[in-house]
Amino acid sequence: MTDTALPLVKAPAAPGRERWLAVALAAPALLILLALFALPLAKLLAASVAGPDGPTLAEYAKLLGTPYYLGVIWNSVRLALLTTGIALVIGYPAAFALARARGAVRSALLACLFLPLAASVIVKAFAWTILLRSDGLVNETLLALGLIDAPIRMIFTETALIVGSVNIFLPFMILPIYTVVAQLDPRLMEAAATLGAAPAEAFVRVVVPLTVPGVVAGVALVFSLAVSAYVVPTLLIGERYPTLSTTIAKAYLLARQPTFGAAAGVVLLVIAVATVALSTRLARLGGAR
Amino acid sequence: MTRPLAILFAWTMALGAALFLLAPLMVIAAASFSPTPVFDLPVGGASLRWYARIGQMDGFWPALSLSLQIAALSTALALALGTLAAIAIAQGRLPGAEAIGTFLVSPLMMPGLVLGIALLQYFRAMGFSAAWSALLLAHLVVTLPYVARTMIAGLSRFDFTLVEAARTLGCTYPGAILKVMVPALAPSFLTAGLFAFLASFDNYPVSIFLTDVRTKTLPIKMLQYIEEAPDPTLAALSTLILGATVILLVASDRLVGLHRMAGTGQ
Amino acid sequence: MSQEPIDAASHLVVRQASKRYGATTVLDRVDLAIRRGELVTLLGPSGCGKTTLLRLIAGLALPDAGTVAIAGRDVTRVPPHRRNVGVVFQNYALFPHLSVAGNVAFGLTVRRRPKADIARAVDKALALVHLDHLAARPISALSGGQQQRVALARALAVEPDVLLFDEALSALDRKLREEMQGEMRRILRDINATAIFVTHDQDEALTMSDRVAVMNGGRIEQLAEPRLIYQRPASLFTLNFVGLSTRISGTVVACDGGIVQVDTKVGRLAATGRFLAGSQVVVATRPEHLRPAAGATGNAVSGRVRAVVFQGSRSLVEVGAGGETLLAELPGQEAALLAPDAEIRLAWPVSETFAFPAPEMAA
Ligand SMILES: Nc1ncnc2c1ncn2[C@@H]1O[C@H](COP(=O)(O)OP(=O)(O)OP(=O)(O)O)[C@@H](O)[C@H]1O
Ligand SMILES: [Mg+2]
Repeated sequence: MTDTALPLVKAPAAPGRERWLAVALAAPALLILLALFALPLAKLLAASVAGPDGPTLAEYAKLLGTPYYLGVIWNSVRLALLTTGIALVIGYPAAFALARARGAVRSALLACLFLPLAASVIVKAFAWTILLRSDGLVNETLLALGLIDAPIRMIFTETALIVGSVNIFLPFMILPIYTVVAQLDPRLMEAAATLGAAPAEAFVRVVVPLTVPGVVAGVALVFSLAVSAYVVPTLLIGERYPTLSTTIAKAYLLARQPTFGAAAGVVLLVIAVATVALSTRLARLGGAR
Repeated sequence: MTRPLAILFAWTMALGAALFLLAPLMVIAAASFSPTPVFDLPVGGASLRWYARIGQMDGFWPALSLSLQIAALSTALALALGTLAAIAIAQGRLPGAEAIGTFLVSPLMMPGLVLGIALLQYFRAMGFSAAWSALLLAHLVVTLPYVARTMIAGLSRFDFTLVEAARTLGCTYPGAILKVMVPALAPSFLTAGLFAFLASFDNYPVSIFLTDVRTKTLPIKMLQYIEEAPDPTLAALSTLILGATVILLVASDRLVGLHRMAGTGQ
Repeated sequence: MSQEPIDAASHLVVRQASKRYGATTVLDRVDLAIRRGELVTLLGPSGCGKTTLLRLIAGLALPDAGTVAIAGRDVTRVPPHRRNVGVVFQNYALFPHLSVAGNVAFGLTVRRRPKADIARAVDKALALVHLDHLAARPISALSGGQQQRVALARALAVEPDVLLFDEALSALDRKLREEMQGEMRRILRDINATAIFVTHDQDEALTMSDRVAVMNGGRIEQLAEPRLIYQRPASLFTLNFVGLSTRISGTVVACDGGIVQVDTKVGRLAATGRFLAGSQVVVATRPEHLRPAAGATGNAVSGRVRAVVFQGSRSLVEVGAGGETLLAELPGQEAALLAPDAEIRLAWPVSETFAFPAPEMAA
């Protein structure tokens, strides 16, 4: 029994003709991704070690050896960690409420999830710059409520960055968890109850482990999106918080340092892929499935 | 925590999240009616003048048309190729089906920016410099994994014995596919198409490396506009796009139900 | 229409329990009293409310009216995890994230039993259902019958006071099922648990239970020992639902000392029962009481053989008479002599003939 990310229908050994038909069906998609995804990635890897006289790791040394660039990497990871953590705390209970909702309430809540997903990231980030201005809605509300005496500076601070980032990536946390929760068989909670588990314990022992796949999917997705976010830091905090993404963009679009940019790209890719691999691994160790 | 308290907590979070998610959209919609150029909320009086100015935005029409073309074409191609591949994978007759499935969805993990620079270097090395075609190919890499993931998930939940059952009940093979498989997979198909289209239409980090002076997609144009001379025209444009999205979502809800789309979306 | 008085000594008592879902009444003032250690089967057509009744007893659903008591304690509002009941669900409800052993251990783990005790109890429960070799398997890698046995082991492992089985053996082959029936009788005796067993298999109901409850449309029609259910059905429904019978409708012409005389299309028949003259009734008997007529005592009817169904040592003979159908169960050799369409005269004792009120047309 191997663990599979995708539950597949296992058919008995197919006769040759059907196997070839299957290969023919899958071939176009496969070839396109080989040519336009796998190969370019390999080239990028090669470009990141290209030097005037043979392969060199100089750019990696620069990235991983200079305090400034280590700070840049940490900025990206920190943004992703905070975003993922906050989104999980909000998204996990919200997904349960969503799964309990029925009819019009459910449709309305789902629309609240889908609509922002369908709206441009640029527009949403821009909206936060309006909301968080010193004369923006948030400051005015806080002033009116008497919580603050003078407008506080929010835009171009880390607060603005995190608020915007959580706002933009939250649906990617809620949706996978919701999917898993909605498919939970309610009879499992009942079975746990008849076996003597109080509701809280049944929740911890049965529901939580069964939602782990959704949580892992959400965490991996939000983390890898946030760690490589470009528009959000550009609009909400700018130069004061350089991230790997903004560094890569600068290396290519302004500074014309493709080798350095490629190396930074590989580092970013490794972080994103490692998170997904690691969380999947942790989920399996945790006994999910 | 007692059960009612836990439920109350969950509902609070859900409603809070809903408000939080809607906040920027409402702000944009409100600002689009602003009477002044500084994004005031239209308290004094609403104005439609920013809507009138959308068309006069510098380079707006070509950008919109380019984005629509690229999104529609890449989505259509991805739906065709991705669905075929998903069928091959889900039926289990493909050698190494599991590995192939993982490979097809793996670009989803890929930071957009990294894909952008990888393609930029790749195309340059090949001496390929047609921006339109480069954008289309790049966006195919963006949309294909969405379709593959959604369709593989949808198909793997599909019980192929249903097709056999329909055939024993008198359907021809194509008839059974049409009557049983297509309705069961329609939500997946719609979801895949919708999300692939939006992913392409809203893509910035891949496109930015593949455009030239004359070929700019809408998101690139919009960010440029925000950085250079922000005024509520952008809010008006976004509000129009939002309106179109609302119509799309309502139609999808009527057609297959949003909850089914959420279920198949992941 | 439960005949048993509810005695205080009963271990599990359901009193006047009703349950509605929207406009449909799923349970209608159900009374049920079961002694400690007794095994009662619930027999009834699909949708009559069997699962709902079990859910009420397990605490998974609240009755709209009525009470449930276990061991003299009113548990109507006690949550399921404090009732110490074991349930084998109709669709098993096994935890997909736990192994076979993990599922069986679940109830003991949440009861905070010492690890060693749990391991022993799990081994024992799995051995009972012959699954000890699969303890480490994930649930998804089990056959339907194996899953059912895991569900059984999981419910038994906690040694509950009340065990509820919702078609717990339906997915097993005949041999395994009979073995499990025997095992379960033994286990139930060992742990002295009270059990309710839902089944669609009449043989299972009649052979393994102390008493059978026949349910129909949200009511218990009859609760009695298997022998009585078969030999003295309390209602036309029970007669019909359990076993085969001959049923002839007619009109009562006289009643005297618990014997009614009934005019039917096949002549005058006598039956036990008390009805006013003029009542519409159905006269019925079981096939094994019908014999080829020799004497003139009891009821007798002439007809023609319509079909002979071979059933091994015995055969079932279908006889048509005056538009009615009679069923007789005869020894093989006797039936072998009967040719289709042959004239035959059948007779049966009045003491084995019952009369029930005819079903009202409007109802
Ligand atoms: N949650 C519910 N909502 C509405 N109706 C319900 C619900 N649960 C059960 N019912 C109805 O109550 C009736 C009794 O259901 P129940 O599951 O108790 O039947 P059953 O006797 O166990 O049937 P079977 O032998 O088919 O399992 C059915 O008509 C069913 O449709
Ligand atoms: Mg049932």
